[in-house]
Amino acid sequence: MKSDCHKAQVKVYHYLDGEIGRYRSWRIQRHLRRCPPCTDGFSFESKLQQRIREDCVDDMPEELMARLTTFIRQNGPTDTSVDPTAGGSDV
Amino acid sequence: MADQATFEADIREFIPQLYSAALRMTRNPADAQDVLQEALLKAFRGYHTFKAGTNLKAWLYRILTNTFINRYRQKARRPSEVELGELEDLYLFKRLGETGTGGASRSAEEEALDQFVDSDIKGAVEALPENFRLPVLLADVEGFSYKEIAEIMDVPIGTVMSRLHRGRKQLQRALWRVAEERGIGTGS
Repeated sequence: MKSDCHKAQVKVYHYLDGEIGRYRSWRIQRHLRRCPPCTDGFSFESKLQQRIREDCVDDMPEELMARLTTFIRQNGPTDTSVDPTAGGSDV
Repeated sequence: MADQATFEADIREFIPQLYSAALRMTRNPADAQDVLQEALLKAFRGYHTFKAGTNLKAWLYRILTNTFINRYRQKARRPSEVELGELEDLYLFKRLGETGTGGASRSAEEEALDQFVDSDIKGAVEALPENFRLPVLLADVEGFSYKEIAEIMDVPIGTVMSRLHRGRKQLQRALWRVAEERGIGTGS
């Protein structure tokens, strides 16, 4: 593989996630303009991300919203001393 | 400081997506409802600790994620996760291309992608080990930034990137297995 292709491909996720600086982003765009195979590859990755986003969403059962809001109202503000974001999460 | 009186109105719009995320985390509707209910109750009781003007969606996902991890820690922490070797970049694209129809179409690989059905993708996401599944869900499905995911999962941002990238590659490997079984990408 050409080294320019490799340099672009190792950054494919950073690029698609928008987690890359402007200069690096510009360098990748410049490479993609010159390299149809990488353009196809990046386009494929982008489409796969879109499929994941679309396919992983389920509709919530209608009655669940009512059940949840009722539950919260009934069991609500007894103990407000706890920070709800606290708790171990070293997954 | 947020007001409990407005809690329901403030968070209502996020509940359906929180449910969907809980479903991907727990992989079954009964557990998803339990986790969501517990998370919402915690959020309600602790709503005064939420700083108004900061990211409410990220705050709610952090509570949901913590609730899931704490509740299912023992189940989820199976030591059986096989560490796969590093896969090359654009793994699935390259595999689909190798078997393809000779490059006649610009998007032969994308056409192959269309042959996966929704449950293939969902199944591959749910099959990921928990520490890869969560970042993939939070990034690809919920659209959080790496920094937000680091805060939600309470891990360093470098850990988020590494798990996210490895998770995505593992997902691609799983999809490639499906493709091989079903002859996707072979031009049929």
